[in-house]
Amino acid sequence: MSAVAPSPATVHYRDAFERLQPVLGGGATRRAAAMERFAELGFPGAREEAWKYTSLRRLESRRFVPATAPTTPVDVPAAFVAQRLVLANGSPVGSVPAALGGFTLGTLRTAPEDQLLRVIGGGGTERFAALNAALTIGPLLLSTTAGQQSDDVLQLTLMTTGAGPTLASPRIAVRMAAGSRARLLLDHVDDGVHEHFTNAVLDIELGAGAHLTLYRLQRQGERAFHIERIETRVAEHATFVMRDSQLGAALARLDTNVSLDGRAAATEITGVFLADGSRHLDSHVHVGHHAIETMSYQDYRGIAANKGRGVFNGKAIVHEGAQKSNARQVNRNLLLTPGAEIDTKPDLEIYADDVQCSHGTTTGQLDPNALFYLRSRGLSEPEARSALTRAFAGAVLARVDEPALARHVHDELDRRLVRLLEVAA
Amino acid sequence: MLSIRDLHARIGVRKILQGVNLEVKPGEVHAIMGPNGSGKSTLASVLAGRAGYEVTKGTAHYLGEDLLALEPEERARRGVFLAFQYPVEIPGVNNAYLLKAALNAVRRQRGLPELDAFEFLALIKDKMKLMQMDESFLSRGVNEGFSGGEKKRNEILQMSVLEPKLALLDETDSGLDIDALRVVATGVNSLRSPERAIVMVTHYQRLLDYIEPDFVHVLSDGRILRTGDKSLALELEKRGYDWVKQEASAA
Repeated sequence: MSAVAPSPATVHYRDAFERLQPVLGGGATRRAAAMERFAELGFPGAREEAWKYTSLRRLESRRFVPATAPTTPVDVPAAFVAQRLVLANGSPVGSVPAALGGFTLGTLRTAPEDQLLRVIGGGGTERFAALNAALTIGPLLLSTTAGQQSDDVLQLTLMTTGAGPTLASPRIAVRMAAGSRARLLLDHVDDGVHEHFTNAVLDIELGAGAHLTLYRLQRQGERAFHIERIETRVAEHATFVMRDSQLGAALARLDTNVSLDGRAAATEITGVFLADGSRHLDSHVHVGHHAIETMSYQDYRGIAANKGRGVFNGKAIVHEGAQKSNARQVNRNLLLTPGAEIDTKPDLEIYADDVQCSHGTTTGQLDPNALFYLRSRGLSEPEARSALTRAFAGAVLARVDEPALARHVHDELDRRLVRLLEVAA
Repeated sequence: MLSIRDLHARIGVRKILQGVNLEVKPGEVHAIMGPNGSGKSTLASVLAGRAGYEVTKGTAHYLGEDLLALEPEERARRGVFLAFQYPVEIPGVNNAYLLKAALNAVRRQRGLPELDAFEFLALIKDKMKLMQMDESFLSRGVNEGFSGGEKKRNEILQMSVLEPKLALLDETDSGLDIDALRVVATGVNSLRSPERAIVMVTHYQRLLDYIEPDFVHVLSDGRILRTGDKSLALELEKRGYDWVKQEASAA
């Protein structure tokens, strides 16, 4: 590390941490180490590869105040499923039940801090994972017992709210015991009143043969900054499924890192993002194949319009010895109006010789022949465009098998597409 | 119903239509024949409003209205239907959605109430039977994975649902085996009526054995060189197109 003086923003968060340390709850040593790591890494520079298309200048120019005390949020959107827990600025609202939606719940008071506050290194968002570990106030541990099967969905509504520009640091650790099965829904919202900064971390471990489906909806307001890191370790014969809908915030960056550690570990990551208005949405997926017969499938569909900008970086690395692995990546992007931009980089690194890998990326506009076909049948141009755009995202949306959430995402896309296309037509 | 006068059109610098004149009255069936590259498909495309063609001269009026000034969807809602030579596959947009949206767009234009899902299903069931199409087809993507014959049958099904006043059939017979051709022809013939006009563009006389035209026109080098009755088609089948060109240039 070069001995460059930390930037004013870095100093701001370090100072805030020092002031707040007494009230942050357990794990003082870990928190201090994490803050040191953050201060060391600082905000990304313009030349850092992982931040090539996403500038954090605006975020860095702000001085968000880290949330310290649990708050009672207002206007929390309705739940999609029966079992839900609301977290305000990372801290559970009300008392935390011992069990909910197929998980046992733990907090810093009841669960080991090394499970709740660990920082996994590497990648462009390590700095923010460290900042999160230093400042998080209500980290939650969700665990299952061996063989426990649940068809329930646990919804966590993560709300960022505050009387001024607030930094929320929600942190969720998930520990799935061998052979267990569960579903988790993360819903990111905010109060939309101020510019807030949500810096979230999910730290997931799947034991042998476990199965986790993670639904994610990021629908924060037009002024929100959102950075999130999802770190997943997958043991032998376990499966991690993720259904992502990245629809909100002014600037959002999501890093999903999946490490397929055991034989026949598998992951399927599908997502859609809609960068309309002047939204900047950046999704990075990194899958490491470390064992034989591991399987990964990524399918991300990006839509950008107006001054919106999308970034997608999908990476799969098949490490030496990960024979008979299968890595497939699809990334399709749609530019709905001139001026929109999507930068995409599929990336496949293969160090084993007996594997099946493929990747395909397309970026383009709606097919003019299909548009004419629909219009020649009497559909207006906005109707035709909206039908084709929905069809474009449809292959991914069809995989969201939680009906209320699927309906919401579908309707939200519809609403915004129709508005957008009527303006454009 | 349709009145085309001295129509000239080009794609880029390539002149394709070079003075087409055509009058079509309600109830008539016209066949436009001609060698490849004569401008047959361009004529159908220009009338339906496909982008990429520039009309440099001439007019086309439909029911007294300037057809060329209308957007493609406005033409469709007023009763112009183009059966595509190459129907487009649109995965993710299902046939039922398209048919219902198209039908309701036409009905709104005609001042009729929109149909709900039940009325719509009742209406298309019989039409699907006539076109020998299975009901599972409704939930499939538009033309997605359809064989050539299925695509053409789907075009005629759409036409029978939308009940256009002016149907333009662009090479509807191409790529069809004899059985599929019969089904398609049955569908088209069921739509013949005193109020409806049909203009078929075709390369071969074969289609005309099944759908008998009132008029046959020979289009060559962007102009209609000869007009006759169905016997002209038979003559073309025997003698090819060259003699028409020679007679035209001699005249």
